[in-house]
Amino acid sequence: MMWEGLAIGLFSLGIIGFGFFWVIRMEYYLGYLWWPYPMLLGIGIIVLSLFVADAGWSALLGVTGASFIWGATELKEQAVRAELGWFRQNPLPKPLPPFAAIIRKIKAPHL
Amino acid sequence: MLQMSGLWLALATFLSIWWGHVGVRWLEAHSADIRPPMIVLIIAGLILNLAALFAPNVTVGGVCSVVGISLWWDAFELVRQDRRVRHGHAPANPNNPRHARYLAEGKATIHDPLDREPIDPLADGRQAARDRNLEVA
Repeated sequence: MMWEGLAIGLFSLGIIGFGFFWVIRMEYYLGYLWWPYPMLLGIGIIVLSLFVADAGWSALLGVTGASFIWGATELKEQAVRAELGWFRQNPLPKPLPPFAAIIRKIKAPHL
Repeated sequence: MLQMSGLWLALATFLSIWWGHVGVRWLEAHSADIRPPMIVLIIAGLILNLAALFAPNVTVGGVCSVVGISLWWDAFELVRQDRRVRHGHAPANPNNPRHARYLAEGKATIHDPLDREPIDPLADGRQAARDRNLEVA
């Protein structure tokens, strides 16, 4: 029997759960304007998965990369949720990401 | 030779999450009773996870299980989406009798509260700077 497939499925559940955690934290401390960075990280991890010989490890990297891309698309909605008072809003000023002026011109993607 | 397993799994994960957002909202908004779609999702998840056990390789097994487990999660999300609509955190469909009831109760809304851009921190910062200058002046 192929238990590895089921393990990858359970891993996806865990990594998406971790996504909920880091999206809330990242929006709270850094702000939604940082969204391209987890997206680039996710794309990078998926590209890396192409060069891993073992199919199982490559699969885990693929799942991880996709979950980072999804998390990047959640940051904007999380910012709105915090503004609506559904989540805690950070009273401290947030640091601007590198290339903030360029990032502002791109409409942040969301699902 | 490139290892395509990761790419397939990334695609399966992303599409599962996408459907988990867009599809679940649609399904919840168009079902008068969420229990039948929940049962379908649970059975489909079970079939896919069983298929994962008998898959010919890790890639197929992984895709089956990722999609299967996310369908189980989607069944649970139908309940959470119902709660969001009831509390006005997601738009209600007035043509759905269950949502119409929530609207009549007064807390639900037909508007999507998340359908707007967040406050631009840069524009906000400039505004704050202007306010400070006014105070100085």
